[in-house]
Amino acid sequence: MKKLVKMLTAVLLVTLIALPLFAGGKQEKQTAPASVETASKKEVQIRIMGYGGQDPAVVVRLLDEVIGEGLEKEGIKLSYEPLEGDYNAALFNALSAGTAADIFYIPVETAPGIIATGKVLPLNGLVDTSPFIDSLVEAYTFNGKIYGIAKDFNTLALHYNKDLFDKAGVAYPDENDNWDTLREKIGKLAGIGDNIYGISLPADYARFGAFAFAAGWKPFDEKGNTNLLDPKFKTAVEYYTGMVREGIAVQPSDLGQGWTGGAFATEQVGIAVEGAWILGFLRNEAPNIQYGTTFMPVGPSGERGNFLYTVAYGINTDSPNREAAVKVLEALTSEEAQQFVLEQGLAIPSRKALVDNPFLKKGTPEAEANRVVFEGSRMGFVYGYQFGKVGTDWFRPINSALATIMTGEKDIDTALKQAQSEIEALIERAK
Amino acid sequence: MDDAAALQSIQATTRYTSEEMRAWVARRRWALAGIIYTIMIAAAIVFVGPLLFSALSSLKTNPLEYPPGLNIPQLYPSNWIAAARLGRLGGGNPLLGGFKPGARIPFRITYFVPEDVSAELPEVIVPRRRPGAGLGAVMKIDYAADYAHVSPVMEAERAPSAISIDGERVRGEYITYSFTVSYPGEGPPIDRVPVDITSSPGVIYVSSTLTASRIERLGRVASYDNLAPGFFGYVFRNYVRVFKEARSVSTGKSLFFSWTLNSGLYAIARIITNLLFATMAGYALARFNFRGKTFIFMLVLFSQMVPGQVTFISNYLVIRDGIFGLTRLFGVRSLLNSLWGVIIGGAGSSAMIEASKVFIMKQFFESIPREVEEAAMIDGTTQLQRYWRVVFPMARPALGAVTILTFQGAWNDFFWPLVVLTSPEDIKTLPIGLLSFRQTYGAAGDWGLILSGAILSAIPVIIIFFVFQKYFLEGVSFGGSKK
Repeated sequence: MKKLVKMLTAVLLVTLIALPLFAGGKQEKQTAPASVETASKKEVQIRIMGYGGQDPAVVVRLLDEVIGEGLEKEGIKLSYEPLEGDYNAALFNALSAGTAADIFYIPVETAPGIIATGKVLPLNGLVDTSPFIDSLVEAYTFNGKIYGIAKDFNTLALHYNKDLFDKAGVAYPDENDNWDTLREKIGKLAGIGDNIYGISLPADYARFGAFAFAAGWKPFDEKGNTNLLDPKFKTAVEYYTGMVREGIAVQPSDLGQGWTGGAFATEQVGIAVEGAWILGFLRNEAPNIQYGTTFMPVGPSGERGNFLYTVAYGINTDSPNREAAVKVLEALTSEEAQQFVLEQGLAIPSRKALVDNPFLKKGTPEAEANRVVFEGSRMGFVYGYQFGKVGTDWFRPINSALATIMTGEKDIDTALKQAQSEIEALIERAK
Repeated sequence: MDDAAALQSIQATTRYTSEEMRAWVARRRWALAGIIYTIMIAAAIVFVGPLLFSALSSLKTNPLEYPPGLNIPQLYPSNWIAAARLGRLGGGNPLLGGFKPGARIPFRITYFVPEDVSAELPEVIVPRRRPGAGLGAVMKIDYAADYAHVSPVMEAERAPSAISIDGERVRGEYITYSFTVSYPGEGPPIDRVPVDITSSPGVIYVSSTLTASRIERLGRVASYDNLAPGFFGYVFRNYVRVFKEARSVSTGKSLFFSWTLNSGLYAIARIITNLLFATMAGYALARFNFRGKTFIFMLVLFSQMVPGQVTFISNYLVIRDGIFGLTRLFGVRSLLNSLWGVIIGGAGSSAMIEASKVFIMKQFFESIPREVEEAAMIDGTTQLQRYWRVVFPMARPALGAVTILTFQGAWNDFFWPLVVLTSPEDIKTLPIGLLSFRQTYGAAGDWGLILSGAILSAIPVIIIFFVFQKYFLEGVSFGGSKK
């Protein structure tokens, strides 16, 4: 009996002693800025919710090396909360539960839905949006109100394998190429071997859409409807799937790869249509591949087409510290912060002025690719990777139509008719 | 009826000889054994196959290799020896390698040069290369390119020979080149020395001191991730990366190590509380008679049927506010993002006391004869002594089962830690950490690191399973039947 009492007391004591110890780290962090606080103003805590993965580390470095000091003077303390897994689902949960942070990421593809919750603060008059790339501001403008400042962005570009083009004796793709001349180059390149393809094209709207835009097609009309039976859309489908049917283009899955970048790294395809995210992948998986990057080809409309993939910072309407949140948002998208992120090779900045940054003019393949992707944002028909209130379900009918046409399961007209009826149903449901 | 009797009865009614019958019975017996063994082996392959395959893939430089091959250079003993030797020469560490001031790494590479190709000296460079994705891309690092010096490339050997390419016999010669990568002067120790060797078009890479990580540009470039990897750095490259590359940006500590430690602490805390509380509750339910006993027991069983998702919001709020502000006594405002929050706040199968464990203990205590305790009572023991000194030690098999099941549950627990632990990165437990790995590296197609992380995290469970197999089975039988 005595022993047991002794033991229980010991366990209790250990718990009592250990509890503050365990929390010790946290406690210190909370008290450390407090001593600064007495010297300046009252301390304000600003929370940011964003992606997991690499982003928490990037924010830590930004704070340590660029913006931390300035914010500390203002008495603002930042904490970054990564939402691992499905970001959109987690953010919608947090918004409806009232636990969302003061600042959160707004991915362009789900922006209309997030903004429709009414929890995003319009930034008109609070933040000067003129230094940012127009198409990026546009992607976050709804009914004349601006809801987000793009953190960074990406567009599509043609990345080509120089060795393969040299071997085939074909000129590299360049900015003067239109659909026909590009197709000719692709055809010649595919002729040099059985396992060599001119270009890798997935059955995916995320790549195909850029071609449809170049044909002059628009994803939504004024009423918010989608027309896949538009002749312009059909032209793009014929061009895109035709190369696969002909055997000069290949789907990445046919090379055992999950995406075009993987197919490009096998050195079996001449061209990959990807954004700047391919660079880090190539650095790891195919560090010696000799590649160049150029703009998307000019389509039948006489213009190029492109997607904007981006994420913006938005401010929570329920934030108790709006002023401080605006200051943090400005610091995160400041020129110094964006320059730092660019020069670390982490992302492409959303400010117009950075087009003249020496980093983009270094002449290395990576710098060149970054420049092309940067400038792609203002060439021709550029739309955000966005699908109205339908969300990411919207492009499913298009993807399956592309897949059935590429495999020859259905002809173009049948496939498009079916896709049109499916997409109409989706839009109807969302309204 | 045994075999002999069966034989006789069949023989009596048919015209087969006893020899034929005996052979038939023997054949049937073997066929049956064969079928059973085939089914068992097939099942084993289905269940263990993916694990083995991912273990093998995690060794490869490109785990997504398609079609997947089993010709893995990391499995050649000759490469093990070379990697260890190069690691010793580069960083004085045959296991983990590296590149330190004063290092001299001699290296040889052999090409086959067909007759009609003129071979020039290959070009050797140490590229300025950082990890392209993941946390490695965010970290500040020192580049070997800034400190390494490559000696001029020399031709070392030349031997005429012939090989067959696509069934055609091609004449030519093997040419071996040698060079040395050194680290003159002073500088920081560096983790890896990437090297690219570019030769003329048309020559064929045959071998080198260490097998190249990858052959690129249609055969022209032999690329090495690390010229001085050391044994582990070469064979278990992705595993070493898990520890070296994935570090907390703010503290520089290995994330994977912190996660393992957290998972370990969480599992141990859960085991201790479950052992203590589940035995107490089980003992009370098995031995005492009090009003409402059946009701309480039903309640315990019922709580097992409530999924954690139902209670997690209220639990979350309690943890967020520091158990109604109680933790403020210790100067802690909230238990979110702390291991204590995970341990204290869990419900259902991540709780300090689980219904299923109470059930196991109750069933076991009921199987212990009352006479044992009565004997102790005659010796003058109190109730607590009977529980702690007599019955508790006797329950060892059941305690083993509870320990194992709790450990497995805690180690793999995903949902509750995911809700409580969000930032900073180093507070997470292993399963949550692996999710963040998937996001960091999976997006960039870098699956080697994720595979190795997953396999490392599975090892403790596998070891425990093999050591305590017996208890696993007993755990099932205690729960299921009453002795």
